[in-house]
Amino acid sequence: MTTLTDRYVDATVRRLPPHQRPDIERELRTSIADALDDRIEAGESPAEAETAVLTALGDPSRLAAGYADRPLHLIGPGLYVDYIRVLTALLATVVPTVTVIVCLVDALGGDPVLDVIGSTLGAAFTTATNIAVWVTLFFAIIERTPALRWTPSRHWTPTALPTPPSRRARFTELIVESIAFVLFTTFILLAPVLSPKSDAAGNPIPVLSPWLWDTGMVYVFIALVVASLGASFVRYYAHWSAPVAVVCLLVELAPPILMIWLAANDHIANQAFLDTLGWPDTTMSWVNRGLIVIAAIAIVSAFGETARRARVRG
Amino acid sequence: MDDELLSTHLQELRRGTVVLACLLILRQPNYGYALLEVLEQHGFAVDANTLYPLLRRLEKQGLLTSDWNTEESRPRKFYRTSREGAALAETLSADWDALHTAFRSLKGES
Repeated sequence: MTTLTDRYVDATVRRLPPHQRPDIERELRTSIADALDDRIEAGESPAEAETAVLTALGDPSRLAAGYADRPLHLIGPGLYVDYIRVLTALLATVVPTVTVIVCLVDALGGDPVLDVIGSTLGAAFTTATNIAVWVTLFFAIIERTPALRWTPSRHWTPTALPTPPSRRARFTELIVESIAFVLFTTFILLAPVLSPKSDAAGNPIPVLSPWLWDTGMVYVFIALVVASLGASFVRYYAHWSAPVAVVCLLVELAPPILMIWLAANDHIANQAFLDTLGWPDTTMSWVNRGLIVIAAIAIVSAFGETARRARVRG
Repeated sequence: MDDELLSTHLQELRRGTVVLACLLILRQPNYGYALLEVLEQHGFAVDANTLYPLLRRLEKQGLLTSDWNTEESRPRKFYRTSREGAALAETLSADWDALHTAFRSLKGES
């Protein structure tokens, strides 16, 4: 028969990392047995004694948290304010933007009013849920990765005060970058279904090349952009160090390089969509040239930013 | 003052004193439950669920060392203050004395 003590010990150790379990279990059982002996000697019945001892030890999850020496919160006070600001900024900007775009595109496509309302509310809800989940996950990871946590250095002198742009300005930059990222990704992911032009059968003609979806390349690109946004967060929260700077630079170079390759191979814009606009045949090559220039600017600015941060070590 | 607030403040004030008391007591090796009793006898109010994890933390920090004693009917983990632990205990004791003096002077007793 399992005793209360067995159940208590189980409830405690199963919350601990496996390598700590045997030793802590052994010690905990001895400690409980010692306490039981004392109470029984003092005249209590074994059952009373067991209840009293376990009650005094308290909630197993708290005891386990003490042993594991880990936080009992998802996002601690050090990050909470930043977390709320990023979350609010994204919700307040991205959700209305996506809602308006979906509503306009559907309405222009001539859908019935109820369908338009339904898909608009659906899009708003999905966007808000995604933002909440991913932002929370992102900050929970930062919270649990000490290497990513910005901590004041041990020997602080006033010269360590950040030179402009200040951390606050950089935080605003970070928020703007996050908003741009979410809008950009939302646009790309919605691109196959959202289009102002439809074919004869009434299906939307995608703005972006279907090749991107057929090959899965679009997901590779989004993954690289996510990594690049991650690099911005790392640079904000982590101390400057040469390896971090180099890795962040490489991660930030990946999306523009891929974009140049895609543009050079005519894999971005959808020729069928451009045809419906009735623009000249050279449009495609101009679009690609434009995208290559934008990517080149992104590459130059990534190098410039890395060099600037290396200089101020920030 | 409400009870919860009071207990928070008491807990904060006492937090470091339990560490110091453990480091001093464990100059003689001892095991968890017995240590709890010694602390109680000397008037240190500490809960078992605070003390047991604390011993592990101090061991991890190298302030205590431990050995399993399996000679008796019940295997027990004995903790002992390490050299670093003893040095820390000395520093903390000195600090405690300084604080005591500071409070006395604050209250105009000396």
